[in-house]
Amino acid sequence: MLTTPERIAFVLLALASLLLTAHGVSRIVRAIARGQGRPNWRLFFHRVIPVSLDILLQRPIFRTRPLVSLLHAGVFFAFVFYGLVNILDLLEGFTGFSTLHRSGVAALYNLIADLLSVAALAGMLGLLIRRFGLRPFRFNQRVLLLPSVRFGISRDSAIVGGFILLHVGSRWIGQAVRVAESGQPDWSQPTASLVATLFHGWSEAALTTASHVTWWLALGLILAFLPYFPYSKHIHLFMAPLNLILREARPLGQLEPPPSSDGTIGAERLEQLRWYQLLDAYACIMCNRCQDVCPAHGTGRALSPAALEINKRYYLNRNLATFAGGATSPPLLEIATSKEAVWSCTTCAACVRICPVGNRPMLDLIDIRRALVNRGDPLDPNLQSALESLARYGNSFGKPARQRARWAKELPFSIKDARKEPVEYLWFVGDFASFDPRMQENTKTVAQLFQAAGLDFGILYEDERNAGNDVRRVGEEGLFEMLVEQNLAALKKAQFRAIVTTDPHTYNALKNEYPAYGFQVPVYHYTEVLAELLERGILRVQQPLRAAVTYHDPCYLGRYNRITAAPRRIIRALGLELREMPRHGENTYCCGAGGGQIWMDSGGQERPSEQRIREAVALGDDLRYFVVSCPKDMAMYSDAVKTTGYEGRLTVIDVARLVAVAIGIDGVEREAAPVESEAR
Amino acid sequence: MTIVVVMEQVPDVVEELAIAPSGTDLDRDAVSYVLNEYDDHALEEALLLAEASGDEVVAVGIDTTGELDQTLYTALAKGARRAIKLTGDFEGTWLSTRAAARLLVPVIQELGPRLVLTGVQAPDDLDGQLAPTLAALLGWPHASVVIGSELVDGVVQVRKELWGGITMTLELELPAVLGVQAARQAPRYVPISRVRQVMREASIETREVEAPDGLVPAVTTLRVPEQAGRAEILTGSPAEIADRIIELLRARGLL
Repeated sequence: MLTTPERIAFVLLALASLLLTAHGVSRIVRAIARGQGRPNWRLFFHRVIPVSLDILLQRPIFRTRPLVSLLHAGVFFAFVFYGLVNILDLLEGFTGFSTLHRSGVAALYNLIADLLSVAALAGMLGLLIRRFGLRPFRFNQRVLLLPSVRFGISRDSAIVGGFILLHVGSRWIGQAVRVAESGQPDWSQPTASLVATLFHGWSEAALTTASHVTWWLALGLILAFLPYFPYSKHIHLFMAPLNLILREARPLGQLEPPPSSDGTIGAERLEQLRWYQLLDAYACIMCNRCQDVCPAHGTGRALSPAALEINKRYYLNRNLATFAGGATSPPLLEIATSKEAVWSCTTCAACVRICPVGNRPMLDLIDIRRALVNRGDPLDPNLQSALESLARYGNSFGKPARQRARWAKELPFSIKDARKEPVEYLWFVGDFASFDPRMQENTKTVAQLFQAAGLDFGILYEDERNAGNDVRRVGEEGLFEMLVEQNLAALKKAQFRAIVTTDPHTYNALKNEYPAYGFQVPVYHYTEVLAELLERGILRVQQPLRAAVTYHDPCYLGRYNRITAAPRRIIRALGLELREMPRHGENTYCCGAGGGQIWMDSGGQERPSEQRIREAVALGDDLRYFVVSCPKDMAMYSDAVKTTGYEGRLTVIDVARLVAVAIGIDGVEREAAPVESEAR
Repeated sequence: MTIVVVMEQVPDVVEELAIAPSGTDLDRDAVSYVLNEYDDHALEEALLLAEASGDEVVAVGIDTTGELDQTLYTALAKGARRAIKLTGDFEGTWLSTRAAARLLVPVIQELGPRLVLTGVQAPDDLDGQLAPTLAALLGWPHASVVIGSELVDGVVQVRKELWGGITMTLELELPAVLGVQAARQAPRYVPISRVRQVMREASIETREVEAPDGLVPAVTTLRVPEQAGRAEILTGSPAEIADRIIELLRARGLL
């Protein structure tokens, strides 16, 4: 029990500490409130239970890094339980109430507290050794980092880690001291009792002093740490759950229209971001998982989604009073990230999916692009000509719209004009499948498969336009809207039950973006249709194929829309042996083409597609096919196989071509690279 | 002060061009039009000059296509302050460069600019006569094949391309006329939303004009060039190729 002066001191210190903390928190809340829009608090009631469950099970954390996540879990569970421990310890200090040597619930409490203390200490030590011993948190040289960040990350981590070690350690040793005072081991506190043996032979006065010192180190330390807490990464304890709970309820594949404030469309400055993009900065725990999965950072470009969030937080913390008070912040391109970084994002959303605290750094990059495009900032010349061509001809190839369906003329049958007669499936072919000469063979194969299956399908011919998925992600919102209007006008002329697309980017736009413009129709990817046709026996495998293959999930199919099973069902139905690359399904790695990158000059560095081909090659010498289901992948990987020198060893092939070979469509077998079939 | 940019729409050669049944004109129903690419550079150069000097850019064009509005709205969206469209009974005719210049001169005189910029050439003005003709009619100095300009102390310094990679810098007294080959930087991108906003909020001034007599050429026939022959790619070892070249040259009496 504390002495009276100690009690008075504690109460006074607690008041001062809470006041200072409240001051910090209120400033942060005001800073976040400067962001555009307001949270939908109704989500709170829907999400609070499922999100709490996710957090209690540590689900978002265990998505990767199992060992590190285990260490975190130790610290986390201890933290949750320490809420109770600290209250009871406070009670003990003020009233003398104690759970020592008790039985029943109190003993269970003692046991849990005892074991979790060790778990937290071990977890924290492990995490600190990792951070400071192994130094895994590095940014590449081109990443923009605020000067305060370079030193700040280590300092912040050391303070938070040190606090947890001291706080939990003091409480743990304090319990040992109390056990020693009582003169006999408390079996409900096995580890503390073990430590207590160290205090054998200490005088009663020494033990009393130790008891007071450890109490103050455990609980007094909280008072010292609390005012610092809002500015530390420890604030993720509250901001991360809040972020997860208040996330906008929209599909990953649907963007919000650009934020707009003071005549700026998009975001040039912090206060022009949405409120949740500012919250992201405070939810960030600086784990760099987003950076690990980022294809831009992985190929040495200037983008680090982690650095973006960390820069935002450090800027805000250093300028909190003025920012919360309404001061204009410097441009994001000076404090958060660089122009090169903004233009190297592939919008693959790997960072968004992996983030354990629900951050979406990708959205910041898109909003900065929107501001740049709207301000008339000079664009990459290739991107500019792609946009101009899209505005004029509806495709990025600079080809007249009339030539869109030229590939169809080379088929032995004619494809229905969906504008003139009703069809069951409207096939939205997409730019690359229509115009790229390397892709047209695949496109014809898909048409032949649909025809062989007796599918009632048609196309929009020259009225189809680029669906606008990547135009929107480049930041050209007006052009995106124009393309949507043009496509909706064309779709209005047609009668159909559902849409089938070749391009996953098109799929994403029609499925997730167009509903915001009043377009609600079932949308399928061609792999879904082919899988069903094969399984229902409408397309029959004549000669099962015998080869080892791997399959690459397109970001906009696998990650954005979780269509990972259908292509695999096809591959298995054809008799092929599927070997998975380490990064597959929703964890797939981007080919580097998305978000408009396919129109830009990547500047001669190693490409993500080349890394991906190496990943596939590592699956074995006998791996024959790199199977794709996206026209852009076909383009990217056909190049990458050549530039990595694996041409001839690994063949990039569209899944539709394999189906055509297996079911025996005329003409395809000859063109496709030979596949060993069972018949031979 | 004012800088005038003269802009013209030309048939888009990306689309397939077709000849009308009359045999003397393009099938104008099938043709779509784009801004003459050199005029796009003239506009960019004018905007760059104006951004430095605070001048006001006025886009002026003769509407021979019925679609000039699109081009003028884009010019406004990029930063021109005013757009003036000259309309008249031009349909189915080809205005000669001289006729175009005569139509433009009164508007330019009314605007009283210190510079007039236009593209160095156009598909219907391959000789690049518009800028010099305007200058002659106005009595102002002129430079063509311009690849950069700057307004300094009441004169315009102009970089102009000669031949063999040689450039020359001229100083012209104002007012002057420039035929622009290329702006200092690539013509800027203008976001669609801004063009649409301009279409809602800004307006194009229209002037009714009459085509001057006797300056409209009469077309007798219009034809697609016929394929005259094919290139042959020589293959084989360098020695074989050399032998083949000698043989070909001998056959034509050149050796």
